[in-house]
Amino acid sequence: MSATERQFGDVLLKVDNITLRFGGVKAITDVSFEIREKQIFAIIGPNGAGKTSMLNVINGFYHPQEGTITYKGNPRQQMKPHEAAETGIARTFQNVALFRGMSTLDNVMTGRLLKMSGPALRYYHQKLANLPVINYLTYPAMWFGDLILDSLYWGPYQREEVKHRKAAEEVIDFLEIQSIRRTPVGRLPYGLQKRVELGRALAMEPDLLLLDEPMAGMNLEEKEDMCRFIIDLNHEFGTTMALIEHDMGVVMDISDQVVVLNYGRKIADGTPNEVQADQDVIDAYLGVAHEADLEEK
Amino acid sequence: MFYREAGQFYTTYAKDQGIFQLKQDKYGLWGLLFFAFLVVPIGLYLLVQGGVMAGTTKDYLYNSILLLLLVNCMAAMGLNILTGYCGQISLGTAAFMGVGAFTAYKFSTGMNYRVQKEDNAGELVSTLVPILPQIDNPIALILLAGAVTAIVGVLFGLPSLRIKGFYLAVATLAAQFFLVWCFSRVEWLYDYTSSSTIQIPLLKVLSFIETGTITFGMPDGSTKAVSVSGFLVAGSETLKVPDGAKTIVSASGFILTDFSKALSSPDASRAVTGETFRIYPVPETKYIFSLAIVVVFAFIMKNLVRGRIGRAWMAIRDMDIAAQLIGIRPLATKLLAFAVSSFFCGVAGAMLLIFYLGALEGAEAFNINESFSILFMVIIGGLGSITGSFLGAAFITLTPIILINVQPAISDVFQDKALVEHIQFMVFGALIILFLIMEPLGLSRLWQIAKEKLRQWPFPY
Repeated sequence: MSATERQFGDVLLKVDNITLRFGGVKAITDVSFEIREKQIFAIIGPNGAGKTSMLNVINGFYHPQEGTITYKGNPRQQMKPHEAAETGIARTFQNVALFRGMSTLDNVMTGRLLKMSGPALRYYHQKLANLPVINYLTYPAMWFGDLILDSLYWGPYQREEVKHRKAAEEVIDFLEIQSIRRTPVGRLPYGLQKRVELGRALAMEPDLLLLDEPMAGMNLEEKEDMCRFIIDLNHEFGTTMALIEHDMGVVMDISDQVVVLNYGRKIADGTPNEVQADQDVIDAYLGVAHEADLEEK
Repeated sequence: MFYREAGQFYTTYAKDQGIFQLKQDKYGLWGLLFFAFLVVPIGLYLLVQGGVMAGTTKDYLYNSILLLLLVNCMAAMGLNILTGYCGQISLGTAAFMGVGAFTAYKFSTGMNYRVQKEDNAGELVSTLVPILPQIDNPIALILLAGAVTAIVGVLFGLPSLRIKGFYLAVATLAAQFFLVWCFSRVEWLYDYTSSSTIQIPLLKVLSFIETGTITFGMPDGSTKAVSVSGFLVAGSETLKVPDGAKTIVSASGFILTDFSKALSSPDASRAVTGETFRIYPVPETKYIFSLAIVVVFAFIMKNLVRGRIGRAWMAIRDMDIAAQLIGIRPLATKLLAFAVSSFFCGVAGAMLLIFYLGALEGAEAFNINESFSILFMVIIGGLGSITGSFLGAAFITLTPIILINVQPAISDVFQDKALVEHIQFMVFGALIILFLIMEPLGLSRLWQIAKEKLRQWPFPY
């Protein structure tokens, strides 16, 4: 199936004229693009082009000085990373950022934290929040009730744990990491750590998944596995993804749309084929001969 | 050979998420609890009755070793929540324990405040006026102490959003010094006594079971008095003792106090005449009570750290940036860790006052050395491990006591008294360094390695 035949949904994330400065250094200058639902969207560019900064802007870690971000149709206010996560943006990191002291299963379960609510508080939100009673009292009482249930690991809370354990196990099955479920992630080889990190992000059931160099430092086999997971995710579950990757073969094969950054500016935007043919992109990657050099020859 | 998971399959997630992965672990813990709750008190009692051990030795064992050990276990668990699981270093543990002790004291004495009036002769007379009824139930006191300490802990945890690591440790030092200053300068806290010492009043324990007078039956007619409550724990009850009774035994047969010893106390004359007699807390009951509290809180801690709260804490500890991008609110999570940790420390402080010391001086009992020693317990025992809290507390508490007891043997060799005492410190320090070199992850890691070795035994791998 070629990329042009595929059907995408509405615009999920719209980035408008973003400029990000650190003091006098402009990391990103006036960049705009759109990510549509169900798209595999790639951001590429030479080292230091501002790709990771762009992801950090999207999930609220950096706050751009200029420009707007529209997410799910709403212009987004300046937000903190955990607020971005609450709106359904998940992320993996260039250098693995797993919770090293925990097992694979616990890492994936940590990804479920946002979905897990205390049974008492959920009851509050379903039944009590709209009642004309003094919510200033019932909310803390319910919060405290959850703490008690948590500390006893009992009844409704235990059922909650089991429910999310099932969801976590589905992710573990999908990524084929059943055998390392109980292994502390610090002991895993690099390729598996990357996979666990993807699992942790998937456990969030994100609307937009940001992948920062998911294949960096992997061998061919591991890369093929990772590509398979990305494509399966996209085709089966319709997950929207924005990825940064240096392996051009991979990017051109799997992505639907590619944005090329260089020195913080967008130099190309289009399908892989269009981008490959773009003279600016070729120049950015291969370099431009200086006129002085040409004259010497 | 006997310690392995072979044949133990779990078919539901609920079972798979249980506390113990191995049945052997479960049986081991039940065995340990059985030993601590029944074998220790009954065994020691039998040893004393059989004349093998002196009664004073038994009391020393309870009052100076076991109770201190339990209090330290509690405090180490509290600090381990904050430092081991949430990664926030704290040097204010002793101060938080102090908050717990002083809260227990103020509630047990009815929150007195001082009213000063001039009497007819024109002299200033001060009286203490209680605001609240006195609480004489140790469980209520301990829970109140925990709750108040949790609030104080949250206040001092607020800087943790902005500062991390060693800088946070320095910020918690502020809590240490400020609170200890309060313990010796805010007169209201210690009821305006000149020595700034607090003493817990005698508590009527489990008064919700028995509020009336306790009557005695004398099963064999002559030497024993039996309490009907059957369960007198710490604290005191006012008892009517018949003439000539030698021992007070509860209905369950558990010896509450050696009455012959009590006869030599100032109250003895009244006891003999058949008037009311006051039983002081006996070590066994204090021990069982403290042990039960520690076990319950260990269970609560285990449940918290294996659930969603514990995962959020560990995520913040291991990689706080990734934790935020998963949707964990850093401030709320850290403050919850401060609250729960301080709750545990407050309970430990209240236990220190109620069960272990009875009376203490705040500035001395909760100084910075105490904070450091609890931090050492957690580091030597193993950060992020409940077993480690217990092992570390046992190591730091018991090693000096063992060294003191072998001191006579050394002093025969060296003759110099000062030198012998210094040798004790040197050996203790050397042991700490040795342990940390052998296993930087603490005693709990050694324990884990031992268990893995045991699994493979008799094969090397």
